[in-house]
Amino acid sequence: MKYAKWTVLTLIALIVFGFFHYTLPQHDIVRVVNTYQERQDLNDWTRIFWAKPDDQSTGLINRDVQFIQTVKANNKPMVYRNEDTGWSWPPYFKFDTANLQTEAEDAKSTAAAPEWVSVTHYGWRIEYFSAFPNAISIKRVEGPDVTIIPWFNIFFFVFLGFVLLMLRRMWLQFRERSIDPVLADVEEAWDSVDQRADEAAERARGVWGRFRAWLGTWKGKPRR
Amino acid sequence: MIAFLRLAVFGFIAMTVMYLLLSIYSRSVERERLEKEWDGEHDGGESPARDAYIEAGMRDYEKSLRRKLIWLVYVIPTLGVLLLIYLTNY
Repeated sequence: MKYAKWTVLTLIALIVFGFFHYTLPQHDIVRVVNTYQERQDLNDWTRIFWAKPDDQSTGLINRDVQFIQTVKANNKPMVYRNEDTGWSWPPYFKFDTANLQTEAEDAKSTAAAPEWVSVTHYGWRIEYFSAFPNAISIKRVEGPDVTIIPWFNIFFFVFLGFVLLMLRRMWLQFRERSIDPVLADVEEAWDSVDQRADEAAERARGVWGRFRAWLGTWKGKPRR
Repeated sequence: MIAFLRLAVFGFIAMTVMYLLLSIYSRSVERERLEKEWDGEHDGGESPARDAYIEAGMRDYEKSLRRKLIWLVYVIPTLGVLLLIYLTNY
């Protein structure tokens, strides 16, 4: 039972962590080497790794997607997709895919003369499922070693903590003011039921006692 | 357009739920404060004077700034969405 509890809790923690890790923005320092556009099939479950940029696209089983090919400072490749999120999930409200593709095109550089950019993105690169993170914005940076402070994520988690704390306080207030008095009433009612039961038992004993006494009157008086 | 309407409708529902929860909570806290204030100054349990005092306090609360600040539940997320749209696209 103990193991089952910890398994479930670990699973929930992993799902919550995974959800935030997938959805919240992250920054990569990369150098853009190329951009391309490729037709993607969207007719199986890996559909969840692609955006639903507009209403028409939900009915399509394939469509063109733009990609940005980059290389990290450690020479590992990273490929981003470049899709509108529009008004759908996740709520980045990205409508400027074409502009972003232009900026990426403009930021291309070679290994000999690298120009480093910080790509803000969300999502995971999963080679096996052909899943790509979605690039949100591109910003030029000094070099491959600059530190980027994730202001949005800091603000987001502080705000989330505040909301959870507020919900907890609301619940405690509700319990103190609305549930506890009812429970106290129930307890009082139960006590009075208990008391009445005791009194009834007393009375019953009285009746039985009287009956025994009445039976006793039929007994002969002890002979002298 | 459908996606925008979906966001607007569900966002409005979520904000309304939050607004109702917050106003119930805030009212409850105010009533508790009034009760404690009265009990601190007067002896004895419940009385008509105590009820009248609390009801008057609650009427004042309904006109207070704190009561009106709960409307920020609608304002802040909307401004947040506008800010995100600006930051992402411009």
